[in-house]
Amino acid sequence: MALKKGQPTPPSHHPGERREPRNLETLLQTLLDEDAMKRRWAARDLAEHPAAAVALITRLKHETDATVLQVIITSLGCIANDVAIGGLIDCLYSEHALLRNTAIEVLKELPGPVAPHMGELLHNPDPDVRIFAVNVLESLRHPQVEEWLLEVILRDEHVNVCATAVDLLGEVGSPQSRDALRTLKQRFPEEPYIQFAADLALKRIGAG
Amino acid sequence: MKRILVIDDAATVRLYHREILEQAGFAVIEAINGLEALEKLEMEGPFDLYLVDINMPKLDGYGFLKALREKDIPQAPAIMISTESSPRDREAALVAGANLYVVKPIRPEQLLPQVRGLLGEGHPS
Repeated sequence: MALKKGQPTPPSHHPGERREPRNLETLLQTLLDEDAMKRRWAARDLAEHPAAAVALITRLKHETDATVLQVIITSLGCIANDVAIGGLIDCLYSEHALLRNTAIEVLKELPGPVAPHMGELLHNPDPDVRIFAVNVLESLRHPQVEEWLLEVILRDEHVNVCATAVDLLGEVGSPQSRDALRTLKQRFPEEPYIQFAADLALKRIGAG
Repeated sequence: MKRILVIDDAATVRLYHREILEQAGFAVIEAINGLEALEKLEMEGPFDLYLVDINMPKLDGYGFLKALREKDIPQAPAIMISTESSPRDREAALVAGANLYVVKPIRPEQLLPQVRGLLGEGHPS
């Protein structure tokens, strides 16, 4: 049917287009919608609402759609208040690899809010959590990164935590890491990977 | 020469595996995450074996293995490598399609018999 001249064009609704208002209350309701696409839009828009941090964290525990999970984590990273950072850090304890890895990628971009938690994470009794904490350090632009890594390779008793840290020291280490790298080699003389990675780091730093 | 795709986001780990495998006579191709591994798969065809880390950005080891197993290509063996040693992680890796689950740190004398075994050149230890 042809439109008459001057008649307003009807609004076009593409599949998946949002029609709901974007106020906090509506978005929180939509976050629980059966339609994953609607939940994804709501999660994205909630990034502008710091008060939504608790609801987003709660949703993480029940969300089954991978793309919605990723958007929720990204939104928590945008909010980046204490609640949101706490929720992201809790993801490091998750058995869900996607959740963990996405949280690690987001935390890497938040040096200021993450730094106060790093000491506690690096002393966590679970070596897997300590490894994930070292993963966060990978591109965390924070002046203490090398200091944290040195502490790990000098103190941590778990070979895989030290191995993860030495990988990173090879990239960010300065000449002040040399002695600690040599000490690491002495701490794990029977571990070929530690010997390999420490030698490589020393070579890159210029002390090979 | 058998071709092995090494998938790990840590450059030092990839280099370590490359040295072990090349010295043993294998050709090594590297990918920095599961997504790049799928691209290599598209460009260079199926590989004889996949050495896959679990925790990687963009697409983790589970995601890569799931995609690999869904492809209509010969089902080459895959070894999943992780720092995590719990039975839960091992089971998840095997469900995702791994033939073997190996916990770091990797030692050449352990890895090579497993690789050769999966390639039909011996028995996996």
